[in-house]
Amino acid sequence: MAKKKQKAKTENPYIPKPYKVLEYYRETDDNFTITINMKVKHDPGQFVQLSLPGFGEAPISICSDSEEYIKLNIREVGTVTKALGNLKKGDTLLVRGPYGRGYPMQYLTGNNVLIIGGGCGVAPLKGIIDYVENHRDDFKEVMLFLGYRSPNDVLFKRELEEWRNKYHLQVTVDEEAHGEMCYDAKHGFVTDVLRSTPINNENKIVFVCGPPIMMKYVIEVLKEKGFNDKQIFLSAERLMYCAMGVCCHCMIKGKFTCVDGPVFRYDEMKELSDE
Amino acid sequence: MEKKRLNEFLLQLSKSYELIAPVKTDVVRFERVKNPETIHLEKNAYFPLKEYFFKKEEVLFTFTGNKIQETTLSSPKRAFFGIRKCDLNAIHHQDIVFMKDTQDPYYIAQRKNSLLLGYHCPSAPSPYCFCGSLDLIDFFDLMFYDKEDHFLVEVGSEKGKKLAEKYGKLFSPSTRLMTQADKVIPGADRLDKKDISAFYDHKDWKKGADICLSCGACTALCPTCYCFEIHDEVKAENVNKGERKRSWSSCQLQEFTRVAGDHVFREDREERFKHRIYHQLEYFKEKYGVQMCVGCGRCIDGCPTRIDFVDIINKMEHGKEETESKN
Repeated sequence: MAKKKQKAKTENPYIPKPYKVLEYYRETDDNFTITINMKVKHDPGQFVQLSLPGFGEAPISICSDSEEYIKLNIREVGTVTKALGNLKKGDTLLVRGPYGRGYPMQYLTGNNVLIIGGGCGVAPLKGIIDYVENHRDDFKEVMLFLGYRSPNDVLFKRELEEWRNKYHLQVTVDEEAHGEMCYDAKHGFVTDVLRSTPINNENKIVFVCGPPIMMKYVIEVLKEKGFNDKQIFLSAERLMYCAMGVCCHCMIKGKFTCVDGPVFRYDEMKELSDE
Repeated sequence: MEKKRLNEFLLQLSKSYELIAPVKTDVVRFERVKNPETIHLEKNAYFPLKEYFFKKEEVLFTFTGNKIQETTLSSPKRAFFGIRKCDLNAIHHQDIVFMKDTQDPYYIAQRKNSLLLGYHCPSAPSPYCFCGSLDLIDFFDLMFYDKEDHFLVEVGSEKGKKLAEKYGKLFSPSTRLMTQADKVIPGADRLDKKDISAFYDHKDWKKGADICLSCGACTALCPTCYCFEIHDEVKAENVNKGERKRSWSSCQLQEFTRVAGDHVFREDREERFKHRIYHQLEYFKEKYGVQMCVGCGRCIDGCPTRIDFVDIINKMEHGKEETESKN
């Protein structure tokens, strides 16, 4: 009888479900990518709440485009993410989601795609790259500008060659490389190469994700090149607990990053930006 | 209802419900009441009712390794008596968040077996009250209007109607219709109704922020504030076992927006102070169509430096909006 009653009830949204780690790949000293067997429809730019009981939950954006699995790129900066770093292939972790409003890809078809990422901000953008690859006929030319702090921080090395062959790719590193400079990375900020590359704003949509200061300067350069606010999509980072628009930690003025975002079009973001 | 009948009514009610009402101990607070004579109706409770529904700390589930054990959720039948109009509306606003916008099983479990019996303030019980400045609604099962020698009792729900019928002997029928005048609380409209959206960059917010101690008393005492955080706790004797808990949190603290890597999004006290006021008076309304604040004045009364945001807003004038330019 008790069991019957539970079935009739709506599901408790705070209870995560267990999934298995199918692959674990170390990207850099403090960053790794895992693939888990979560089969779920989602948009690029959406995120999940990953948890390890005893350590807590962390919101992580999905960096793949498949209904068979999801890939998550994680930087070890907090208690939970550091604990997640110790996972191995075959381990179990708990997940709830996906949450949030991702990139509205289905409304952006027919455009050229410009992707600009900084550091672990490249992770959600990789979801777009995979999406575009899966819907190649829907989009035209693809340009990628990816900036990292140093050659040791470059993410998605396994994918870089493929991206270089298929798209216009430029990688930058802020710090000069000691020894071998791999990945054909240029020394400098991502904004420098963006500025010096001839790009017009015609039929283009731009996806930007990275540290707040990097996004600010990228937008300046885009403005110089004549892009309007509605062509630019940003992904915001905030502290989150519930991911359902209740706990209020992720509020930016009246908007909830977890349900109204994390992806915002720049004209929406601008209104929120003086916070 | 004759006033002398009230205690008899509450006593009878307490046979089938846990009776919870304001009593004066160190301060006035809502507590389980066995003897209705101890009920205190002069002042409003220092602490709101919030904790009875949205608990200060709550176990979401327990775990052993990756195995989750859901907690059993239940609450006794409870009758809350002596709730003021502000606190009734606060419950209404939390219902919107936890029962309409989302289906929060923890809140619903605490809330569903409750009876809301209001006490209508004959006049503002505190100098900080401003419920009259907000568009509060009738939200109760029964409301008791204090009319010197008797209570005029208004039925506000089906539940309330059944209750009045069940204890019909204690009530005497009234032919008097409720008027708008009955619902006014004298002395409780001190917040000027003005559009504060134009004042976001006003220099006067500093008046409050400068003397804020970032203690979080305002949000803890607020009957509507519903922000929370979620953390895991493990047992010292076995770290595989533990609980995932949620607890109240305060937007007035830096921790509220601190992300891994130590970046704080609302670092200044002024930004945090403004965020609280704008969430109360604007953002909640943008999302749910009603202002969150109910005008109880507890955040002012309980503030160690008595930051009076009502006074700050009342004194704000157009043409004096500019702060030192930010960019």
